[in-house]
Amino acid sequence: MTGLSVVLRSTSRIQLDAEFECPPGELVALVGPSGSGKTSILRAIAGLWRLPGLSGHIRVQGRDWFDSQQDIDLAPQARRAGLVFQHYALFPHMSATANVALAADKHWAPQDIAALLDRMGLTGLGERKPAQLSGGQQQRVALARALVRVMSGANVQSEAEGVLLLDEPFSAVDAPTRLALYRELAALRQQVAAPMLLVTHDLAEARRLADRVVILDAGETLQTGVPSHVFASPRNARVAQLVGIQNHFQGRFDRHAPGWARLTWRAQSGAEVSLKVIDKNRIADGTAVTWVLNGEFVEVKSADETTTHAGSQENILRCQIQEILSLGETSLCTMSPKGLAGERITLQLPGQMVRKGQWQAGTPVQLLIAPQALHIMPVK
Amino acid sequence: MMDWQAVQVSATLAFLTAGLLLPVGVWLARWLATTQWTGRPVVEALLLLPLLLPPTVIGFYFLLLFGQGSRFGAWLAQHDVRLVFSMQGLLLASWFVNLPFMVQPIQRAFSAVPNALREAAWVSGLGPWQTFWRIELPLAWPGLVAGVALTMAHTLGEFGVVLMVGGNIPSETRTLSVAIYDRVQAFDLQAAHVMALALVVASVLALTLVLAFDRQSQRNRMETGA
Repeated sequence: MTGLSVVLRSTSRIQLDAEFECPPGELVALVGPSGSGKTSILRAIAGLWRLPGLSGHIRVQGRDWFDSQQDIDLAPQARRAGLVFQHYALFPHMSATANVALAADKHWAPQDIAALLDRMGLTGLGERKPAQLSGGQQQRVALARALVRVMSGANVQSEAEGVLLLDEPFSAVDAPTRLALYRELAALRQQVAAPMLLVTHDLAEARRLADRVVILDAGETLQTGVPSHVFASPRNARVAQLVGIQNHFQGRFDRHAPGWARLTWRAQSGAEVSLKVIDKNRIADGTAVTWVLNGEFVEVKSADETTTHAGSQENILRCQIQEILSLGETSLCTMSPKGLAGERITLQLPGQMVRKGQWQAGTPVQLLIAPQALHIMPVK
Repeated sequence: MMDWQAVQVSATLAFLTAGLLLPVGVWLARWLATTQWTGRPVVEALLLLPLLLPPTVIGFYFLLLFGQGSRFGAWLAQHDVRLVFSMQGLLLASWFVNLPFMVQPIQRAFSAVPNALREAAWVSGLGPWQTFWRIELPLAWPGLVAGVALTMAHTLGEFGVVLMVGGNIPSETRTLSVAIYDRVQAFDLQAAHVMALALVVASVLALTLVLAFDRQSQRNRMETGA
């Protein structure tokens, strides 16, 4: 097995039940709220975090770095973890070149390190001390230092022996620099064949950079998958909450006809509305569920517009606009469904659509909800 | 005028004290700066004790412990070691009294090295020794300079312990500060003036050095973002 494979469990004071993999050349984002254990897991991989009674394994490119059964627990020096610290942790008394050279093994000649610094956009800055570099430049030095540790030969295309670990690496730079660094990381990923693990609390960042995301909560991996899938189909209500889905509601699931079911949306006031959904045979009949409305499959129309979809499977939901927040090209539109006091649906709509319909707070609209817009999860 | 023998005794004592204290001070300071041990405050309190106790109290207990009247002192005498009224004894007493002056600034300097830098060094493949020599010591050295300067200045100015433990033996235990006391007792105020001024100048120099390097280490701290 190549790449990174992590299984960590602990039932002591600190609860841990994490399991995920990262193939070489892929970037996996560990996402979770603060205190979810994402940084601890990253540090455990680097050998910097030890917990008595920790079981499981950490395997990198076919080598055991940690294995509780075989009693293997390598020192940080014996692992090849290229760790980019949150605040870079560059050695302030050393030049950029010396910072990188310190982590390089004998494969790396001085000209190789100079070439890597050029590659990272640090041409001519090698002799500078970290304090004389901008935040973005310091970040690149930190990334170069991590890369030389990971590669088995003296360039970024050589085979990777280790794993690249990024601990919230973009949190300390300003927004324009961050965008530039995103692009550079994406470009670098095309060439570096190391497994890469990114710890972040920024969902947009995870979505933008990662091949796969691992959702972590209280030390437990709740869901793993490609970002678009996890964000559209959270496995349970907690994941939906963690990935910042606004439109999640309570209801009851009832089988109806073969392949079809009824979702009863129950408002806090007790009022109910019934919606037609697809039965994927995953939810038991008559159970209470949490469900998510995926805005991608929802059409919004003015209340007086006729919706002549004969035989259409779409649910029609009459709503009243509560608030419109213009975000430029799009507008954030909060609506309350008729007859379901207290419930709110928030959708991002094209600004042009809002202007054309002269929509404002109080305007009645109708929502055409395709059955696939309704993602249903067991309550957890 | 100037008691050059006293100058020599004082200078020898200052250099030897600082020299013998530095390695122990660095080790102790580094340990105190990084240990998670719960007993650390006790060790720190014991280290600060010489700052609070009157020097005469320290000298008194030193005499009790190492004088011939005690069993330990008698045992030492049997082995031809005389620690009372001798340069060796003075050095030993001075070493103890100066522990806080050496350890405090160095401990502060090591504490100011962010733990992330140690971890970055380990992750980069550096062992504990290499991490110490290549990362921690270069960042903490202003603290070492401050410790040495404070220790030497304090040794030059120490009076109570010296008089109790060393007495007033010319070219053996009579330091500058004791010589000044001696001259004042003999109403030789001019000689006392000269030597007192020399001590003032030495102290001012040492303190200037300490403050200058303290600023340097603050700059180091800022650069590491800590």
